[in-house]
Amino acid sequence: MPRYRVMYAKEGPARYLSHLDLIRTFDRAARRAGLPVAFSQGFNPHPKLFFAAPLAVGTIGDAEFADMELTGDVPAGIVAKALSDAMPEGLRLIEIRLVPDNLPALMAVVDRAAYSARAVLDDSLERETLEKAAADFLAMPEILVERRSKTGEKRMFDIKPGIFAMSAWINNDIIVLLAELKTGSSGNIRFEELIAAFMKCSGLRVRGNFEMRRKALYPNGKKDQEMLW
Amino acid sequence: MDLLQQILPLVKKPARYAGGEWNAVHKDWEKTELKTVFAFPDVYEVGMSYLGMQILYNIVNSRPDALMERVFTPWPDMAEKMRENGLSLFALESLRPVKDFDILAFTLQYEMSFSNILYMLDLAGIPLRSEQRKEEYPLVIAGGPCAFNPEPMADFIDIFVIGEGEEVISELLDVVLAGRRKMLAKEEIMYEAAKIAGIYVPALYQVFYREDGAFQEIRPVRAEVPGKVTKRVVKDFDGTPFPVKPVVPATEAVHDRMMIEVLRGCTRGCRFCQAGMIYRPVREKKPETVLRQTAELVKNTGYDEISLTSLSTSDYSPVLEVIRAIVDEHSGRGINVSLPSLRADHFSVELAKEVQRVRRSSLTFAPEAGTQRLRDVINKGITENDLMEAAGAAFREGWHAVKLYFMIGLPTETDEDLEGIVRLAREVLALGRKNGVSRGRLKVTVSVSSFVPKAHTAFQWEPQAPNESLKRKQDDLSSKIRDRGLTLNYHDANLSFVEAAFARGDRRLGTVLVKAFELGCRFDGWSEYFSIKLWLEAFRLAGIDPKWYANRGYNYEDPLPWDHIDSGVSKQYLILEHKRAKEGIVTVDCRTGFCPGCGLCPALEIEPYYAGSEN
Repeated sequence: MPRYRVMYAKEGPARYLSHLDLIRTFDRAARRAGLPVAFSQGFNPHPKLFFAAPLAVGTIGDAEFADMELTGDVPAGIVAKALSDAMPEGLRLIEIRLVPDNLPALMAVVDRAAYSARAVLDDSLERETLEKAAADFLAMPEILVERRSKTGEKRMFDIKPGIFAMSAWINNDIIVLLAELKTGSSGNIRFEELIAAFMKCSGLRVRGNFEMRRKALYPNGKKDQEMLW
Repeated sequence: MDLLQQILPLVKKPARYAGGEWNAVHKDWEKTELKTVFAFPDVYEVGMSYLGMQILYNIVNSRPDALMERVFTPWPDMAEKMRENGLSLFALESLRPVKDFDILAFTLQYEMSFSNILYMLDLAGIPLRSEQRKEEYPLVIAGGPCAFNPEPMADFIDIFVIGEGEEVISELLDVVLAGRRKMLAKEEIMYEAAKIAGIYVPALYQVFYREDGAFQEIRPVRAEVPGKVTKRVVKDFDGTPFPVKPVVPATEAVHDRMMIEVLRGCTRGCRFCQAGMIYRPVREKKPETVLRQTAELVKNTGYDEISLTSLSTSDYSPVLEVIRAIVDEHSGRGINVSLPSLRADHFSVELAKEVQRVRRSSLTFAPEAGTQRLRDVINKGITENDLMEAAGAAFREGWHAVKLYFMIGLPTETDEDLEGIVRLAREVLALGRKNGVSRGRLKVTVSVSSFVPKAHTAFQWEPQAPNESLKRKQDDLSSKIRDRGLTLNYHDANLSFVEAAFARGDRRLGTVLVKAFELGCRFDGWSEYFSIKLWLEAFRLAGIDPKWYANRGYNYEDPLPWDHIDSGVSKQYLILEHKRAKEGIVTVDCRTGFCPGCGLCPALEIEPYYAGSEN
């Protein structure tokens, strides 16, 4: 069955949709668009929609990916137009491509993600101080965060091996954090974890919360930052 | 950075407050003369499941001179953050404060949501009492079933709509628009509104009490204000605007599916049921209308399930042909049909079979009482034979879970009736085993609620059974319903007690609501928030005894606090029905062609309409 890869942005009100909400919304949008979405077999059939990596509720996604299987061939341009017109506010289609159906699943190939976060600083801060704080943070032998196991037990987990890059800068009173983190089924670092650990370690304080954004998703092994096409 | 965006990451289920849903209507604020906001006094997932909101939203937004937005009760975590940050209650479409609108319209679905209305007014920065609200505040209006006894909410609501809102809303908006153009004061606009049929403006009425504290009379205080307000009713139900482009929530609603209303009203005449009285007469939608609206809903929403809604869908004359036609036309696209509730009879199981070809969840039947004697008293026209046939058919057709709804504390109830509940539950369980449902999968759930006497019913004169007696009956049932495969659920008797006080309450209960709000009562329909301790304290502070309202019986000649609201069903008929109940005499459904004489059709100049009856 023909498989389509969708690149989309999740922003505006849609950034507050949970992963389940998102699946439901895509399914309904595809139905409104009149696209013949394929269904899984079995007792409780569900639409063949596969997302690259769940995005934390509230985080903006600039370039998210999903695969969708249809029961019949429809030109990608037509799928794009129809689906685009049927999406609710905040889910913006960027591009749709027909992809070979033997391509590995998105979830299996996604390996890293690039993030940014911004917030208003509580106190004024020199650029050099911030840069040093970031360097000190990354120089630590391990960066421990508290996680809970499925049974609810707390344990400490070292996220350092999953941090591929991190930097920080300021613009007037706005602090911006950038990071590239391990993402996917073979290990996943949540951006909030990193931010919390950095803020704790540096002693910096912000007013309110960080606005977080996932800027890109990357596959394993590619050095050239190619996206998931 | 935007305040709302700062708060939303900190609360549970932020999509509740984000808006942006499919089919949400965003009108130009500056260019639209009259701004209204529909307020549902419960959380988003509950409110978005309410068809009435979608009906009014569609009608108002179809007018070029008006807009309607939506607001729901923020869950306490959100409310706390809003207070901390000085963010006032806002509407989902424009994100503007509710107090910037011209009309704030609440629906009164359930007495236990009254506290949420005060909670929402407060979050909106709007004074609670109507008399405290000056010109700059919105007109606060309310409708829905609880408006049929509006008195407990009379202190807080400027204008009540009695009856079917889609029939009145346009006239009301016209009057408000005209009044504003003439620069009339709010008080004068309310006076003008009071002259519309079906509109009740409590500030224009004075209440009198007897020396012993009993309610005596309610009288208009200005000329041309009617002494009695008669409900409004849609005459052409088939042709009335139906929302075929409803707002589709992105986050899961309680009823997360298309809703097509196939009929309104129910004439079965269960004597405890308020809906069965206030939504008369029965009006059915033509099959072709149902099918046309279904096709539009499918196209406009993208849902994969459609529910044929009404008070009693298996009574819809062409129900079988309509279900088959929907299945034929839409099942290829994976669309399922669902039915909201089923009568305990064989035909209903046939219907369920028709719609549930794939999913085998549980089937629910509502015998309501454990013995034939008591079912005759309440006029629930179901025999034990009907129930057993229905349950047997359900088990044979592959269902393995059955839910049975009962009520305790019904008038004339004895221990034998309670025994009857136990016996029926066991017999249904035995039937399941006999029909080969495996022990591990067989499940019979008995759900027991407590009878609450409601205004405008044959039981409006009846007391609620004392709280202790209800609790004893619940204990008794739970000691007996213990067999493997049987599960017993019951509603909190304390909650039913407070509900009963308000269901037949008068205007003095407004003080109790204010006290309850001040003590922190909200989300009282949710067991995790309901606190009987706080409510009893509120009654005590107001100097009012809740038992005097809940557990009190009235005589036929006693004036009732809702006598000025006319549901169209005559009081003489309700008295007759009450007497027949006491004698255990059943009354036929007017569907059968025998008119039991409830008086509604001549009074409202309307007739029942059955689809296909014109042939």
